[in-house]
Amino acid sequence: MTPDPSLERYSRQMRFPGVGTEGQLRLRNSRVTLCGCGALGTVLANALVRAGVGFLRIIDRDFIETHNLQRQVLFDEADVTANLPKAEAATRKLRLINSEVTIEPVVADIDRTNIIDLVKDADLILDGTDNFEVRYLINDAAVKLGKPWVYGGCIGSHGQTMTILPGDTPCLRCVIPAGPAPGEGATCETAGVLGPTVNIVASYQATEAIKILTGHKEAINRDLLYLDVWENVFKKFSIAKLRERGNCVCCQQGKFEWLEGQHGSQTTSLCGRNAVQVSHRVAGKLDFDGIARQLGTLGQVSFNRFMLKFQVEEYEFTVFPDGRAIIKGTNDADKARTLYAKYIGH
Amino acid sequence: MSEGNGVDMAIKIQVPTPLREHTQGKTTVETSGTTVQAALNDLCEKFPTLSAKIFDKGEVKPFLNIYLNDEDIRYLDSLATAVKDGDELSIIPAVAGG
Repeated sequence: MTPDPSLERYSRQMRFPGVGTEGQLRLRNSRVTLCGCGALGTVLANALVRAGVGFLRIIDRDFIETHNLQRQVLFDEADVTANLPKAEAATRKLRLINSEVTIEPVVADIDRTNIIDLVKDADLILDGTDNFEVRYLINDAAVKLGKPWVYGGCIGSHGQTMTILPGDTPCLRCVIPAGPAPGEGATCETAGVLGPTVNIVASYQATEAIKILTGHKEAINRDLLYLDVWENVFKKFSIAKLRERGNCVCCQQGKFEWLEGQHGSQTTSLCGRNAVQVSHRVAGKLDFDGIARQLGTLGQVSFNRFMLKFQVEEYEFTVFPDGRAIIKGTNDADKARTLYAKYIGH
Repeated sequence: MSEGNGVDMAIKIQVPTPLREHTQGKTTVETSGTTVQAALNDLCEKFPTLSAKIFDKGEVKPFLNIYLNDEDIRYLDSLATAVKDGDELSIIPAVAGG
């Protein structure tokens, strides 16, 4: 076959037998939605645009800050100075890397009202988020629409990833029925994160994406992959049979509780107070003792049994035992949700 | 070391980073027991503050997965899964960051 000159830039990738010319053409005809463009997201976007996907939608609600640059590989100091949204800055950089790819930046908070529109025309959804609320929304939407997606998560020096093919592999809720309650799991803000950890996890996710988009679903990872780069741990946990248990609320019973709003957070702007209330449904009471320990090094924390106060940057958190928080210092619901995910976690 | 029926089972439990503040920094703890439940109970007896971190009303919290060697215990016999000398249990929390 005569080589297609328009594919010359991908020659080394096409020489890899798993891709070839056919795989490259499939990549060029593929559409991907990337949810979140922080640490995982920038590595994912970089890999997919260089690999030559046809269309990439990048959704992120956040702006770039100096402390992102340690691990968010598409951003630089000029982006911080220009005060650019992550989705926009990433798009500008990626267009310089590969002008053949159509990139659509979306500066928005992913929620149950917009997720279907954001993923319905995609062949694959990639997880570059930092919280389980959005991941369960992705999972609901992906299972409902029958679209593959790839989960990735990182903290400190450890991370994990799994690939979800609805109808074939277990979904996120089969493996993780519910995420950590607010304050129960560490976040990158509270526990820190090493740049290389994120690069490795996102690179696994990107490889899974390339397998799926080039038509090699037989090659995907069917385990929960777990690694710790500091402790030299690399493990694969077998999860395939979890789907056969047959009782998953989402992929077996077809209940999309996150899409339908039975789980998740609600925000209310508190008029005239420069504050937003973020409500999270939690089963029990928050562990103030544990949260205070996690936040103690980041800002001023005090608590009694009725509320926990936490001051960081220019914001003041008042957190209640039922998971509700009033975040003072902003009127912006998206910003408040971001702050909640960063410091309290969910 | 062994109590009760005299069968001594050394089960290694891998403790994930976020729970190590409850195990005096230990990454691995040797426990004894003939089931996953017994081994976890032994771990929580050694480090009593762990119990509230792992269990909620007697069930493992839903964001923690327990693996016996490399198998998820939910498709074995869950907490009643039998363990034998030399087995390794890993407690793997769902990771939110990214």
